[in-house]
Amino acid sequence: MANSKKIRRQVRSKMEIVENLEQWQKEFEEGWLAHLKETGEYNWKIYAKIKNQTAPAGPRVDLSQSRLVLISTAGGYLHDSQEPFDAPNTLGDYTIRLFPTSTPFDALAYAHDHYDHTAVNQDPQVLLPLNHLQNMVAERFIGELAPNVISYSGYQPDVVRVVNDLIPAVVEAVKTEQAHAALLVPA
Amino acid sequence: MEGVATTLTTWNAGRARPTTPPRATFTQLARGATLGRPHDSAQQRRVLTATLALLAQDAPVDIVRLDENAD
Repeated sequence: MANSKKIRRQVRSKMEIVENLEQWQKEFEEGWLAHLKETGEYNWKIYAKIKNQTAPAGPRVDLSQSRLVLISTAGGYLHDSQEPFDAPNTLGDYTIRLFPTSTPFDALAYAHDHYDHTAVNQDPQVLLPLNHLQNMVAERFIGELAPNVISYSGYQPDVVRVVNDLIPAVVEAVKTEQAHAALLVPA
Repeated sequence: MEGVATTLTTWNAGRARPTTPPRATFTQLARGATLGRPHDSAQQRRVLTATLALLAQDAPVDIVRLDENAD
């Protein structure tokens, strides 16, 4: 990879999504959330940030022999048949939607109030690279794509709900899709 | 997710790095256009290819900075 720089990190042997989650929750509730409830305004300067020290270990895969699932936080959903994400909710929406990997882009809308939709409206592949991934299957770079995209709306300030609500739903969906590998494209 | 190799790409290194993802590429692309400029298929493919290539390595993989920007 041209002009790539590598950043070294520690390894953790046991999978923890968020280290010190209780401490994070305390800081979140006493800081950012309390301010929002008192004033109705966001203050991102006092938002409690995740501070993991170690990274999870895991084996490699031969992608050319694997099924890949795309996970998107762009808030995409099927506008004719699915409820939109609750984008205006100041506390976020922790549900997921599934839509076929073969979905034409004009069947999708995006329910997410925290990024400018100009680019994705011009070219959905800036966030949902469905055509690119299908081409990569044809080129045998990827073995196959999962039947569905796993989609959610990435504005989710409550990390406890991410851990307890969102991630179990995503994990279950990944298992249902029988994926060997996952690509996350955050918005 | 145990048993599923994961990789991601993001323009938001500051927020992503402390979460210690198992495999990741960092770019200087823009919020709302994570894979590249609209209709710049070559850039989008470069970012995808570099990010997916990390799956061929046991995690954790050193984070890779890509020389990709929105200009």
